[in-house]
Amino acid sequence: MEKKHFSPPPFKRKIRKMRLGVQSKIWLTILCIVLIFAFFLLFFFPAQQEKYLLKNYEKEIQTLANTVSLGVKIALTEQNFEGVQTAIDFIKDDNRLRFVAMIQTDSIYEEKTKQKALKKTVFKSFPENFTPDPNWVSNELLIIKISPFSTDIMKGEIMVGFNTSEIVESKKEIRQTSLLVSALISVFGILIGLWLARQISVPVLALRDAALKVGGGDLFAHVKAIQTDEIGELGRAFNEMVVDLRQAEEEIIKVNKSLAATNANLELALVDLKAAQNQLIHSEKMASLGQLTAGIAHEIKNPLNFINNFAEITGELLNEVGQSGLSPEQEQLVVQARDNLMKINTHGKRADSIVKNMLQHSRATTGEFQFTNINDICNEFMHLAYHGIRATNNIFNCTIETNFDNHIQPVKVMREDIGRVILNLLNNAFYAVNEKNEEFKSGNSSANGYKPVVTVTTELINKRVSIKIRDNGNGIPDEIRDRIFNPFFTTKPAGSGTGLGLSLSYDIVVKGHGGDLLVNSQKGQFTEFIIVLPA
Amino acid sequence: MALLFANTANAQDGMLSVISNGKGAPSEMNFQELKSILRGERQRWSDGTKVVIALMKTNTKAGSTTSKKIYGMTGDELNKYWLALVFQGKAKAPAFFNTIAELQSFVEQTPGAIGIIDVAAQGNTKMVTIDGKKTF
Repeated sequence: MEKKHFSPPPFKRKIRKMRLGVQSKIWLTILCIVLIFAFFLLFFFPAQQEKYLLKNYEKEIQTLANTVSLGVKIALTEQNFEGVQTAIDFIKDDNRLRFVAMIQTDSIYEEKTKQKALKKTVFKSFPENFTPDPNWVSNELLIIKISPFSTDIMKGEIMVGFNTSEIVESKKEIRQTSLLVSALISVFGILIGLWLARQISVPVLALRDAALKVGGGDLFAHVKAIQTDEIGELGRAFNEMVVDLRQAEEEIIKVNKSLAATNANLELALVDLKAAQNQLIHSEKMASLGQLTAGIAHEIKNPLNFINNFAEITGELLNEVGQSGLSPEQEQLVVQARDNLMKINTHGKRADSIVKNMLQHSRATTGEFQFTNINDICNEFMHLAYHGIRATNNIFNCTIETNFDNHIQPVKVMREDIGRVILNLLNNAFYAVNEKNEEFKSGNSSANGYKPVVTVTTELINKRVSIKIRDNGNGIPDEIRDRIFNPFFTTKPAGSGTGLGLSLSYDIVVKGHGGDLLVNSQKGQFTEFIIVLPA
Repeated sequence: MALLFANTANAQDGMLSVISNGKGAPSEMNFQELKSILRGERQRWSDGTKVVIALMKTNTKAGSTTSKKIYGMTGDELNKYWLALVFQGKAKAPAFFNTIAELQSFVEQTPGAIGIIDVAAQGNTKMVTIDGKKTF
């Protein structure tokens, strides 16, 4: 069933959209009242008063005519002229009188029509020189009233004419009075409007402004509620509401603070939980990987030993064979076989080193904890690392800065393991500054006047010892930062690294010592690894 | 006995007498003066007193005689005559009475009053002679 939506005409919608304020409504009401009063005072009441005035005037004139008529009747029938005398004396002193006439009515026989007809003639009139027409009727200027009389002597009627000037004057006075009263009512209406506006509109507008302030957040806004009426009560209720709102807001702020503290704790707990989860996942992964690595390494180690051993033995056999009695072609083959054996030996040893590292990684931490001077171990492995790289690259040069905190007491750690971590991190740092230095020398780097610097800093912060190893190399790109602790992940070229150094270091610090291994880096600027150990 | 006779004689003869209050009217006047006063042509006596006319109603013999002798009118004409005067405010209408006694009493008590009767005046009522005669 289709519903029909009623839509009001456009002009009604416009009217609905019109917004009348309280002040406008008050003025509109006052205007309506004043207009209604003005209408009654200027039109209705004057019309009614004029009507009653005219009616009374006509009644009064009719009464005078009747009185005169009665006096005439008495005078003619009883020869008592006192009545008519008094009536005439009374009426002729009235300045409204235009005339009073005694009309004599005679019945005459008309020859033409052969019928009797009434003939009216003016018997006497006052003023004497004014003779009215017996057939006159009232008009705007003259009101005429007739009162008949009948006696044996004479039949006729008294005709009285009064002018309407007094009525006109009275009407004028009534209208002037109405106009004056209307003006007074208008002034009174305006005063009432002003008073009402002051009593209603002004407090309401003040209330609106205060409400807007409260809406804008000012909870100290209040209105002056000095009136004792409903508006005053509204103002007082508003003030009480604002106070309540203020108190509620204060309570909300307190609760919010408490919630914020709780949230902060929860966030910290969540971070810890995530870290724990990550560590757990990593541990599980490492454990699995460790087992796998251990198995593979064990299986590879034996054949590798055979390869290495037999390569050495084969080399020794070739040396024993010597070069005597060999044709040049055979000598060339022996030399070539010896070179091959050296390559087999070199790469076999390298493979053996990898396998050893893998086994070390899978072995996790097996050393014993002992109190160790952190500054000493840093110093020791710093020199070891530097000379190690110098042994393979004699042109390598780097400034090493140390900032050791001498107040750090010996910390209980697995010395060899922590030494391996420091060594790994320093090797990486030296590798990074060397790489950048090579780029600088070859002109591929934009760094001006680059000087390789590696800084080792130790600190005691909140009962935790931190070892910071910072280099001013090329830094770690953001896209690989999450993967640097993964096993076998390396950015070094093949043969230069196994990708197990950072992974092993992470396991030693985090799993082996309950510490933390953090990294800060800015691409092209620096890399800083921080080993945090519980003191 | 003689007064009663005289009265009866006046009435039978259609003779009229003029009486007046002690104040206002003179003791003697001629007939034209009397007619002028009774027609309302004079409103005040020579001493300033307002003239008040007292007549017998026209349905009485004295009244009828008065109408004819003094006004030269019938009773109805006399009424209309006075009505016209009164209506126009030209004169104060006479007081009409049913009996001589009432008329005489009125005249005695009203200053400036003058009345017409068809009998001789009773008691101390002032008589006005017309052309030297008490009756006319």
